[in-house]
Amino acid sequence: MRKYFESLPVYSEFFDEAIDAIIAAMDSGISAEKGRVLIELGSTNKDFWFLKDGFLKEMYRSPYAKEDSLFNMIPPSSIFVNEDTLFSNQRPQHYFTAYTSVEILRLKEAEYMRLLQKYPVVINLLYLSGTAEIQKSRRERLNMLRMNKTPNRIEWVQQHRRELYHIMDRITLAQYIGVSRASLYRAFEKNKKYQF
Amino acid sequence: MKQCGKLFRLIFPRPVFFNNLSSPYQTNTTTPMLTQEEVERLHYGLLSHIQLQGDVEVQALRELSSKFTLRDVPAGHTLWDLNSDTGDLHFIFEGTFAEYLQRGTHSFILRFSRPGKFAFSEDLLLYSKRSDTYSKALSHAKVASLPSVHFQNALRQGGLGAKLMEVLINLSMTEYRNTTYEMLQTSGTNRIHAALEQFPDLLHLIPRRELADYIGISRASLFRSLKEIGHE
Repeated sequence: MRKYFESLPVYSEFFDEAIDAIIAAMDSGISAEKGRVLIELGSTNKDFWFLKDGFLKEMYRSPYAKEDSLFNMIPPSSIFVNEDTLFSNQRPQHYFTAYTSVEILRLKEAEYMRLLQKYPVVINLLYLSGTAEIQKSRRERLNMLRMNKTPNRIEWVQQHRRELYHIMDRITLAQYIGVSRASLYRAFEKNKKYQF
Repeated sequence: MKQCGKLFRLIFPRPVFFNNLSSPYQTNTTTPMLTQEEVERLHYGLLSHIQLQGDVEVQALRELSSKFTLRDVPAGHTLWDLNSDTGDLHFIFEGTFAEYLQRGTHSFILRFSRPGKFAFSEDLLLYSKRSDTYSKALSHAKVASLPSVHFQNALRQGGLGAKLMEVLINLSMTEYRNTTYEMLQTSGTNRIHAALEQFPDLLHLIPRRELADYIGISRASLFRSLKEIGHE
């Protein structure tokens, strides 16, 4: 967890005291087996969650698909939240499923508020910096989704999301890059270098 | 407060004053004063996003609203340029803007900004780096702009500034989330439907070539899909 904070652009040694306090305030959270939906992030949950080990699928209900669709894959050492609940006080439109077995730590909302009172500037900066990083990553992925050739999208995942490329099965990869399974298989057929 | 300033500079380092690579098209007319009606619209726009606590923040928001200046941006002119170092915050009264990302020699549309919404370069305002994008008016536009110096001053003071920053990041995240929904559709037709849901006038705003790039399909697929949904 400390590594996560140290990787934020805002980090300096000045933040260490607050980071120690955050780490001390986290509880053991959840261990979940592959396939389990994280019901702990219910409709009113505003806690901050840290994925320590394993991979999560972030799912949503697409009006254009019969089944729920993949929105994003969350790799280890990531913070995730109920965005709708936390940012807009609305029911969450997304939910999280364990793609592998996962271990997750939690910072309860009440603990976050307590720490915010104690270290207002530092906690705010860590929050903003962390959110800005998520946003940057979302923009990069969006640029990939605008590529009109499937092989280019696969190459982007290979180069920029290596960890995910190695863990995702083909169906998940197709969903992650926004192409049909048929298109993905055609691209793999054409170019053997994409083989897992 | 001194400590706060130091921390602020850590996340938002002092901008490097590059040579401003202004586009020849950036010839916007700047009018310093907003009419009372425009001030009210701007104030309402800010209020709809920021939850204020106490009279101090109400007063701070009033003061911040008064620092915006009015700009007319003719169609085809830019709101900010590629490699620019001036991270102003804009609130759109009239017109629509497209924000373009440049990769190599090719530019493609990243997102649109419409009336009643904020427009800003994330690189400049949130990440303190030179802008990787530029924003161009698709129709004649009128915007209220807050010069970056005032935005940064508000941030340094914490309170309202920090709330505004949080709002801008959240707005960006929500926009990208909605656009990601569009782009995750595997069929061209569904992508167009999803994009039109976000921007009903999209088909009239940009040429078909740019539209194809925006939704990540080939031009042939775009024409097929548009025909299928009865738009061609």
